[in-house]
Amino acid sequence: MNKTLNINGKPHEVDADPATPLLWVLRDHLGMTGTKFGCGIAQCGACTVHINGAATRSCQVPLSAVSNAGVKITTIEGLSLDSSHPLQKVWVEANVPQCGYCQSGMLMAAAALLKDKPKPTDADIDAYVSNICRCGTYVRVRAAIHQAAAMMNGSHHG
Amino acid sequence: MDRAIDLGRRRFLVATAATGGGLALGFSTLAAADVVDATAVSGTAPEFDAWLVISPDNVVTVRVPTPEIGNGAATQLAMTITEELHCDWSRVKLEFASATRDYIEDNVYSKPTGALAFFGGRSTVAGWNSTLLQVGASARERLKAAAAVQWHVPVAEVEASNSVVSHRASKRSLSYGQLADKAVLIKLEQEPALKSRSEWTFLGKATPSKLHLPKVVNGTAQYGIDVRLPGMLYAALMQSPVQGGKLKSHDFDKIKDMPGVHGVAVIEGGEPLQQLPLITQLPREMNGPRTSAVAVVADHYWQARSALAALPVEWEDGDGARWKTTEQVVAEALALTGKSGGIVQKSLGNAAEVLAKQPKIVAATYTTPYCDHVMMEPLNGTALVTADRVEIWHSTQAPKHAHRVAAEESGLAPEKVFVHPTLVGGGFGRRIGGDDVRMAVAVAKQFPGRPIHTIWSREETTRQGRYRPMLAVSMKAGLDAAGMPQAFIAHEAGRAIDAGQYTDFGPLASTIGLSDASYTSGIIPNVQVESHTLPIHIRTGPYRGPGYNSNAFFMESFIDECAHAAGIDPLEYRLKLHANWPDPGWTLCLKEAAKQAGWGRKLRKGMAQGIAIGNFGMLGQPKTGTVVCVVATVEVSKKGVLRVDALDAAFDCGRMMNRDAVRAQMEGGLTFGLNMSLNEMLNIKDGRIVEGNYDQYPMLRIADMPKIRIHFGGLSDHERYSETGEPPVGPVGPAIANAIFRITGKRIRSTPFRVHDLSWT
Repeated sequence: MNKTLNINGKPHEVDADPATPLLWVLRDHLGMTGTKFGCGIAQCGACTVHINGAATRSCQVPLSAVSNAGVKITTIEGLSLDSSHPLQKVWVEANVPQCGYCQSGMLMAAAALLKDKPKPTDADIDAYVSNICRCGTYVRVRAAIHQAAAMMNGSHHG
Repeated sequence: MDRAIDLGRRRFLVATAATGGGLALGFSTLAAADVVDATAVSGTAPEFDAWLVISPDNVVTVRVPTPEIGNGAATQLAMTITEELHCDWSRVKLEFASATRDYIEDNVYSKPTGALAFFGGRSTVAGWNSTLLQVGASARERLKAAAAVQWHVPVAEVEASNSVVSHRASKRSLSYGQLADKAVLIKLEQEPALKSRSEWTFLGKATPSKLHLPKVVNGTAQYGIDVRLPGMLYAALMQSPVQGGKLKSHDFDKIKDMPGVHGVAVIEGGEPLQQLPLITQLPREMNGPRTSAVAVVADHYWQARSALAALPVEWEDGDGARWKTTEQVVAEALALTGKSGGIVQKSLGNAAEVLAKQPKIVAATYTTPYCDHVMMEPLNGTALVTADRVEIWHSTQAPKHAHRVAAEESGLAPEKVFVHPTLVGGGFGRRIGGDDVRMAVAVAKQFPGRPIHTIWSREETTRQGRYRPMLAVSMKAGLDAAGMPQAFIAHEAGRAIDAGQYTDFGPLASTIGLSDASYTSGIIPNVQVESHTLPIHIRTGPYRGPGYNSNAFFMESFIDECAHAAGIDPLEYRLKLHANWPDPGWTLCLKEAAKQAGWGRKLRKGMAQGIAIGNFGMLGQPKTGTVVCVVATVEVSKKGVLRVDALDAAFDCGRMMNRDAVRAQMEGGLTFGLNMSLNEMLNIKDGRIVEGNYDQYPMLRIADMPKIRIHFGGLSDHERYSETGEPPVGPVGPAIANAIFRITGKRIRSTPFRVHDLSWT
């Protein structure tokens, strides 16, 4: 039986077992491959999406838990329409990603952080961003989050 | 012959166009590749040579053989061409070069650097620089000549800059895109001379964003695991849990009615269908024989994975099961280090005789465990096999090797095998050997005509590794009256890295960093380094800084022991040792790292600094490879909780092409070395690897990171551009261990440090 998901502001019909993790619904049923598979046990964070604004590891969320219109899912493809989110801009400019595989999850975690805490401290970053990056981009991820926060705060105050 | 080449090129253009245009669209085109006119698919973009295409919309497409594994090698090659081409960087695009074309057209891409060409690591070796600069210069002059002909002016009067050719006197200009179709027809009488380094305006100065990043940040970047083709099925794979074992039985009937299940593929262990000759490729041994495996194929991966988990399977473990525990492996390796008569890796002077005469002898044994690469993208591959063609879409680190493996596994001629490299979600050496390519083809050939996307779960990826080998070493040094080593003897044991006779990774591989270090290449006059092979079944492979990633820990911890025995400050001791070493980079790096870290400053109780230095790539030669010195500032609580406060690193790779890219590799390499030293260890039980996922194989997170400071004052400006990804991995661990010793008095002689009791009073 088809289920309807609200992803990036649009309805998407899916025919899948209700137990199928959202990660695989996104990747294999809907072809939205920006959300990555890394571990399948909520350790690495590569599959991070926003569910009603909260950063969530989609490998642990069954389709049945998110298939009603009240649940709003945002994936990396919907973080902005045109890569204009300050995090996306800084990420490119500061050469944050190396291989890039974990970075959609990093960005989604960082975006949720900035929504909750527009001026995050290092401790806030530590608490919100627990994603694994094997290339070792952590130094740049931290600096880029601060930089994006500064950009966002600057634009708020004109 | 000409016809064969032409056909190959046509196929190549079709394949390239399909990859560039999006894989989903490309599929139908590819299936009809032989009958489709190449130009109809690829547009009218004229090709200057195998490397370079400029299209009418003024986009410069550079074909790079190196994959993009995250170090920016692909971007760097495009930058090298740009320096001489004088094109607009914002209109440069990357395409992965075809290994098939390389095969058909007499190694057109791999001539400049041999095996390194289709390989992840290096973008700045001499062969690349001269070839790609010439490609750029030649195309630039052909564009200028085309404009000059059109305008009837002498070519000396036209200029090329920012993708525009202009004639100042008549105020005329044309874009490269407008000139390309005429320029490609022009043959230069002689190749233009290259600019001198001092004339460069881009290389060594610009540090642009890597070209794949815009797609990374919006989720459209395509890694191997993201390949989607019409009609594609998914396979979940399981190989013999004990490497070298084989499938005894399975019961497909039990799962055949599960949702989406199409079938099962049983893969027999053994040799591939054919063996092809080596042509500047990596050795077959890096892959090894096909492993015995079973795969369940279904409409979706989740279905395949669930069905595989439910499939009753029995394995015959084979000889490997005799290795019952990790302790047994370590004990047998340590026992070997006490034997004589190993493979002599280095012999200088008369170590045994001189050592016996010294007033002080320092002796110690060290070990490192098996480690896995755990790259973030699990192993996977997508293959479409028909009776006369193989296509494989793959996040390979070594596309040319992948091409050969796919040909061998399918039994088809290499010109009928097409590898489409994707972005690579981390390599670190794991995606070189091609066992992932082999399994993808082995599964897909049982479903001819259908693209099959085989995914290894994280657990399968971790437990079927080509690991950093477990190594054990016994070391002895004879110190003279001044406390300086006059003789050094080491016996190392383990399974050498499975890399056959490839010259860089030959039998020496497991002792890189020990037998080719500065200390054993002239500083200590009498040296004997021998290696002993542990007859264990567990496969090994290159892992960021092969050999060196263990041996830098052994060597630099042991040198620290010698310094302590001599009663000399560890920095001072290393400076003394390198005082007459004919490579100034070592002393420069020691001094720079020490200065920047404030070596010798007073720290609160429970804190100390440790220092270590190493070089990856030197192979015993001064002014070769890259030197990295690390000072670690460390705190250990009395209860034994370790906190690394800061890593200060100085390095000497000679010269740099791209300062920010070098910095990124240093940051990443130090982080990799840090995780390896603090956290990483695989255990063995009854021949199997115990750890499967990140819950058992812990990884540093952002909250765990020390301050990382990269210093540029160690650069010697020697005329080389050595690699920077692997060298930082080595000295991190020993710098920390040496600091731990200064705090706790405990000498840590194995990694990972997290399993040691570091408490002190």
